[in-house]
Amino acid sequence: MKSAGSQPTPSLIGENAPRIDARQKVTGAAVYADDIQFGDSLLHARIKRSPHPHALIRKIDTGRARALPGVKAVVIGEDFPGHIGLYLQDRYIFCRDRVRYVGDPVAGVAAISPEIAQKALDLIDVDYEILEPVLDPELGTSPNAALLHPDLGQYVVANFIFPKPGTNISNHFKIRRGDVDSAWGQCAAIVERKYRIPHIQHVPIEPHVAVAKVEESGEITLWGSSQSPFAQRNLIAQSMGISQSRVRVIAPLVGGGFGSKAGVSMEALVVAIATKARGRAVKLLLTREEEFYTAFVRQGLVAHFKMGCDAKGRLLAMENIFYWDGGAYTEYGVNVTRAAGYSSSGPYEVPNIKTDSYCVYTNHPVGGPMRGFGMPEMHAGLEQCIDELALQVGMDAVEFRRLNCLKTGSTLVTGSKMHPTGLPICIEKTAEAIGWGMKSPPSAPNKRRGKGLALMWKAPAMPPNAGSSAWVELAEDGTVTVGVGGQEIGQGVFTVAAQMAAAALGVPYESVRIATPIDTRYSPYEWQTVASRLTWSMGNAIVNAARDAKRQILDTVAEAWGETPEDLEIIQGVVISYKSEKEIPLKNLAIYGLPKPNDQGWRGGPVIGRGNFMPTYVTGLDAETGQGERAVVHYTTGAQAVELEVDLDTGRIEILRGVSAFDVGKAINPGQVEAQMEGGFVQGMSSALFESLNLKDGVVRSPSFVDYRIATTADAPKDLQAIIVEVAQDDGPWGARGIGEHSMVPTIPAIGNAIFDAVGVRLEGPPFTAEKVYLAMLEAGIVK
Amino acid sequence: MALHEIHVTINDEPEQVTVPANMTLMRMLREKLALTGTKNGCSAGECGACTVLLNGEPVNSCMVLAVECDGARIVSVEGLASEERLAPVQETILRQGGVQCGFCTPGILISAHALLQRNSNPGEDEIREALVGNLCRCTGYVRIIESVKEAARMQSAAS
Amino acid sequence: MNTHPTLPEFDYLRPRTLAEASEFLSRHPAEARPFLGGTDVLVRMRDGFLSPRFLVDVKGLDGTNDLRFDSRTGLTLGAAVSMNRVIASAEVRTHYPLLAEACRSVASYPLRTRATVVGNICNASPAGDTIGACLVLEGVLHVHGVHGPREERLGSFFLGPGKTILNAGDIVTSLHLPLPPKACAGVYIKLGRNQLGDLSIVGVTALGHPDSSCRSGYRFRLALASVAPVPLVPAEAEKHLADHPITTESLREAAQLASDACSPIDDVRGSARYRRLMVRNLSAKALRQVWSQLTG
Repeated sequence: MKSAGSQPTPSLIGENAPRIDARQKVTGAAVYADDIQFGDSLLHARIKRSPHPHALIRKIDTGRARALPGVKAVVIGEDFPGHIGLYLQDRYIFCRDRVRYVGDPVAGVAAISPEIAQKALDLIDVDYEILEPVLDPELGTSPNAALLHPDLGQYVVANFIFPKPGTNISNHFKIRRGDVDSAWGQCAAIVERKYRIPHIQHVPIEPHVAVAKVEESGEITLWGSSQSPFAQRNLIAQSMGISQSRVRVIAPLVGGGFGSKAGVSMEALVVAIATKARGRAVKLLLTREEEFYTAFVRQGLVAHFKMGCDAKGRLLAMENIFYWDGGAYTEYGVNVTRAAGYSSSGPYEVPNIKTDSYCVYTNHPVGGPMRGFGMPEMHAGLEQCIDELALQVGMDAVEFRRLNCLKTGSTLVTGSKMHPTGLPICIEKTAEAIGWGMKSPPSAPNKRRGKGLALMWKAPAMPPNAGSSAWVELAEDGTVTVGVGGQEIGQGVFTVAAQMAAAALGVPYESVRIATPIDTRYSPYEWQTVASRLTWSMGNAIVNAARDAKRQILDTVAEAWGETPEDLEIIQGVVISYKSEKEIPLKNLAIYGLPKPNDQGWRGGPVIGRGNFMPTYVTGLDAETGQGERAVVHYTTGAQAVELEVDLDTGRIEILRGVSAFDVGKAINPGQVEAQMEGGFVQGMSSALFESLNLKDGVVRSPSFVDYRIATTADAPKDLQAIIVEVAQDDGPWGARGIGEHSMVPTIPAIGNAIFDAVGVRLEGPPFTAEKVYLAMLEAGIVK
Repeated sequence: MALHEIHVTINDEPEQVTVPANMTLMRMLREKLALTGTKNGCSAGECGACTVLLNGEPVNSCMVLAVECDGARIVSVEGLASEERLAPVQETILRQGGVQCGFCTPGILISAHALLQRNSNPGEDEIREALVGNLCRCTGYVRIIESVKEAARMQSAAS
Repeated sequence: MNTHPTLPEFDYLRPRTLAEASEFLSRHPAEARPFLGGTDVLVRMRDGFLSPRFLVDVKGLDGTNDLRFDSRTGLTLGAAVSMNRVIASAEVRTHYPLLAEACRSVASYPLRTRATVVGNICNASPAGDTIGACLVLEGVLHVHGVHGPREERLGSFFLGPGKTILNAGDIVTSLHLPLPPKACAGVYIKLGRNQLGDLSIVGVTALGHPDSSCRSGYRFRLALASVAPVPLVPAEAEKHLADHPITTESLREAAQLASDACSPIDDVRGSARYRRLMVRNLSAKALRQVWSQLTG
């Protein structure tokens, strides 16, 4: 379907329309999944989880648990034989013969209270035969490593993922472009580095929660905090061997997702339990401790970078090996591996590049989609290597990036060409805003001040046929309801959806409502709320639906007035004729149509517009070379810079200022775009300074807020600037493309580069804790 | 486990509730009184999503036993607005764009409201300190802090 | 981690007198626990580390809500007095600003509405932020036990992490701080992983005042958090400053002695090595700040 790129721009687009969902959030009226009232018959589920990172299940005895008064259902893996997974079906709903991470679900209980369900867990006896675990992704690829998925060769897998049966490699993505081996000889400077990026977690303030119920008809209803109602319907139905229409997912407001609530994680557990609960609704609410490691985490990465440039600073070659610590199941994480592979040049033009990106099974928590989808992990090391290379060849770090960054028409790592991009503008504005090249004195004798900058790029990582759809209907009072399948997770999509519908139809913003909650029975299909794709993809669908509705309206009015639709327009909810200057409010005809003269009947009828959007041009990538014509829909590019101080007494980092500039094509709601830049910066900063899952021998130690610190009001920089750059996306609504993830991608390397500027040390990976910085300074002789 | 009958005033309304000893104030609000504006983010006193006013002072309601609240006055997010209008902190957080997913918002509003009751002109550092126990993952706090400053100005102008 | 989704079951009692409370606690030594703000007890119960059958609410018993300053005898701080109340008290801020500063470093405002100084002391975590101030200010606990009231000096109160000399049936009713030394100055420097609200990686409490009985003319008191099984008073460091003239050098040496006195462990918050270095650096900083305040 056509995009809305050529629409005239009414003033609504580019305005800070007030958030459509915010008032209910400030009054406490907003309903999230745990707020839905189910009555006294609601059962509560708890999950028995493996205490071992890797073991065979020899025996499970649930007899004592079943006998406990108040327990209404107990399920184990034996009850559910189907595999489940998004890109690779590599897991069962409950473990059947083997557990692969500490936390892996082994049994589920539903009882009349959470306390009784919890007690029942202790009454379930499981005999394990402990196996050697794989705890490092690089070591996981060696032939001596324990094999976590002997059946890898039999798993159903998407045709763009390449597992290696007989190994722990669930995906191997390759780039082979040019001649890297020869190119090193022409390099005047070469940097070779290893970076280790730890696991972190999304930490949505709302933990995962889902309620499942088997209805009288045998259909399953699932309520949940979900970014992906339709994908959940699809995956759960497939796994249970039933038809998609037999699973209904209802998804209210989400209290933060960041990718953790995409795909299927804990939802399948409660659906499975509900099938044994005799029609009673069953709720599973993860504790915060469970949230940290039993749904999705962000996988760790061991990255080997080698890059070289000539004496003038032109990048000549890159060689990358990425070992992704994908965790026990990589049904989602395999695509992170791929996305990193096809982005492995960073936002630069590099004529010779060789990349091997491996997704490796380990006995660690399940790596899934987290804001940036591999980009933060990869850029963390890559953008620091760029700084080092610039230094080696005697060039300013910003100048080096100006020279090498992607511009419109640049050749990309996959062989395709860069579409119009504002990346050079982002670099200029960021450098200017941070005062690049100017050094200000530290605030105290025991502090050192530094500045750092980093770039990023990211494309939505999704299958080539990820689609959106929408409908538009009107009521007698002139209000417009827009049906969508995308989810409001805080990013503001309901608001821009209403703005776009209003602009495309010609009605006031205040008259538009979004049909919520998203309900797969009634809402139109949306692939998932991920990949920063909704403004662009769902936006196009909405615009198409609005135009469809508009066409119906104008056809009816034109016929009634004896005019042509081209002479008519809808402005502020009123159809007007430029020719005759006649006008009629929409509400007068949106339902009942218009009467024909002389009581000869009626024309028109209830207006209902429909539209969809799916990119039709996405090609594959060659399995050996990673080259292809157009493997992604588009890229959002951007830059961030920070100014910080290092405390020489403690190693503590204080971020004084942050600047972000991203090319979003068109900011439908600039305030919300800025808010994404601010929030992403702070989340990126938090991951840079504080966060890592403390994994030891496969166990996440201290999985709670006490010891997993995230940024608080006291940590947020006092000066955060968000700069919007707009170079239109050819097939985006009004030229828009996404921003949600991108603002957290360059933050770690921007900070790493600034630390180097301040004190001359670089760490092997985040978090750049005070201790690590201090001990590095001690070792370097900067402090005693 | 014994049950206790308690009398509490919640958002200016008297309530009589029967609670087991191990029920927290947070759970009582959410499960016994259908006041689901107060959120459960961690049940460990760390995230602040459950913040309410107990006898005028903010507390993590997940760390208060309902049974301790006999005779107490509770204000939750549902009680901040009057019939006619929103409280200043609610108005300004909307205007400043300090709400994204909204899950931390009720707790933030209670803490901010309480701050302005005890300090009518807080400086930037005082605002940050007062809200340090309310974790937000979406906004980066910038607009939240601005909104508290604006609410303070609004309050001063009104008085 | 054996975290419960809700609190485990227990019975809640609210005795009306100290005698009643003490008697009940002593009759159920392993099963009953006194309960103040709950910010430590409830968390540990939820995590499965504690499962008392009875929680005995001792807030509201005689004297536990008092916050009184007497210009002859000093400060009486009832067990149930919240940290926020301590911080807000004009008398505390005037006479014991170090205690207010230490309270302010704890967690967050809503938590401090419930958290108490006495609770912080009785929880006996080496990381307890307010313990250092109470130690250097020579705090004394008033305890009501089965045999009636008695006093316990803080200096000999702590036996190990979470362990004190209290017996079953003992209820701490208040903390007493004597009048502060004349012209004293104090500071609490806390190093957390993020800016505010964390548990301490290390915490340094320093207090100094003119004292003609010391050869240097000054007495310094120090207490260190999170670097030993108990809140640690580095006696050698204190003695060094009593015996030697106060100079940049002697302050630095004292800081090194404080570091030498620690026996920190590696844990999730920090390594032993880093902790020793931070005790050295932050003790030096704290002593310099106190010295600067003393000498104007």
